[in-house]
Amino acid sequence: MKKYLMFTIALLGAQVLYAQNNYFYIALDVNTPLGNKDFVNETSAKGGRLGYRAFVTEDSRVSIGIDASWTTFDKYKPTETFESHGGAITTDYFNYVYQYSLAVSGLYHFKLGESERIFPYAGVGLGANHNEYVQYYNIYSSAEKKWGFLVRPEAGILFRFTRNRGLGAMAAVHYDYSTNKSENFNIDKFSSVGFQIGLIVMNRY
Amino acid sequence: MRHLLVCATVLVALWSCHPEPDDYDLLDQMVVSTNYDTTVYIGGNSVSSYKTYALPKDTIGYVSNTDRNDTIRTSPQYDLPRKVLQAVETNMINLGYIPAGLGEIPDIGVNVYAVKDLNLFQQVIYPNYYYSGYYGYGGYYYYPYVQTYAYNTGSLVVEFVDLKNAAANKKYVVIWNAYMGDLFNAVNQLDQSIEAVNQAFEQSPYLKVQ
Repeated sequence: MKKYLMFTIALLGAQVLYAQNNYFYIALDVNTPLGNKDFVNETSAKGGRLGYRAFVTEDSRVSIGIDASWTTFDKYKPTETFESHGGAITTDYFNYVYQYSLAVSGLYHFKLGESERIFPYAGVGLGANHNEYVQYYNIYSSAEKKWGFLVRPEAGILFRFTRNRGLGAMAAVHYDYSTNKSENFNIDKFSSVGFQIGLIVMNRY
Repeated sequence: MRHLLVCATVLVALWSCHPEPDDYDLLDQMVVSTNYDTTVYIGGNSVSSYKTYALPKDTIGYVSNTDRNDTIRTSPQYDLPRKVLQAVETNMINLGYIPAGLGEIPDIGVNVYAVKDLNLFQQVIYPNYYYSGYYGYGGYYYYPYVQTYAYNTGSLVVEFVDLKNAAANKKYVVIWNAYMGDLFNAVNQLDQSIEAVNQAFEQSPYLKVQ
């Protein structure tokens, strides 16, 4: 079974590498954290994503691709006193989460008219994300770095500016669910929802 | 077309790679950390009733890892010592302490000092190397050079030393301290130091004289 699975993955990989129909994209990624809002809660436009997706066969509407993305979440916490056995500490501070992720995506591109200019799509990405949780206070900081498994359902639309040119635009919404957690900052399962808008360069004939 | 994509990539990457909080927002308030001896202060009260104290009027200690000659900071060369000591004294009096009389051994000796830590780090820079490829002729080689960066960090420290029980303890024990930082990167060193001293006492209500 494992052999067949590896063979299928290798075949799909080769198919993608030699695919004639594909596209690259770069996008601004705006995200809102859904859980752990005590740590970070603000919508962040400090994010981006780039990727490559290839259609499995020339006429196929299914693409396989790879996405790399990055986002920074932050939150300012006003002055607070933390009591502990034998003392206390008072400070204001900033919570930051630097998130980097890499995912393999499988998407289905729906047919919309005969023009081959507009491609609504939906699918899912699977991969890993790396979160760096940091607390900044004055010149000091505390940090913890963690990896997690990532599942990313996504839906969007691609739009080529003209039929014969590759340049176009894209917009998408995605939900990121990650097993990433931080023991030091008491964070469990980091999830967020995002909206992205960007440019594409598509080869599809 | 592809140039546009490359430009967009660079712009997006620069926009959001690893942003950090603004320096001014970070440094406009000191971190105040207080610690007490848990064998002396139990259940919000001290087991030994301290009442009198001794505190300098215009001089604070100065501990530095660079300047051997400068071991104390005194007014009027610096504004900081007198103002900080006044803030400490005001808080002591508000808590019910009284200054020790002349010739009297105080219950508490108050130490106030600044610790300055000069941090140095170095980086070796290798300038662009060009070599034409034929036994060194026609090539340019720039020697690497070392770039040194330096920055100061440090804390303002207030300590209560138990003088009342020094003979019985056969040592001088620090029963309470406050570390306030960073002193040398503060936006307004004087005002922030005074605020920090006030905060240190506010978060230590167990110091109140019984």
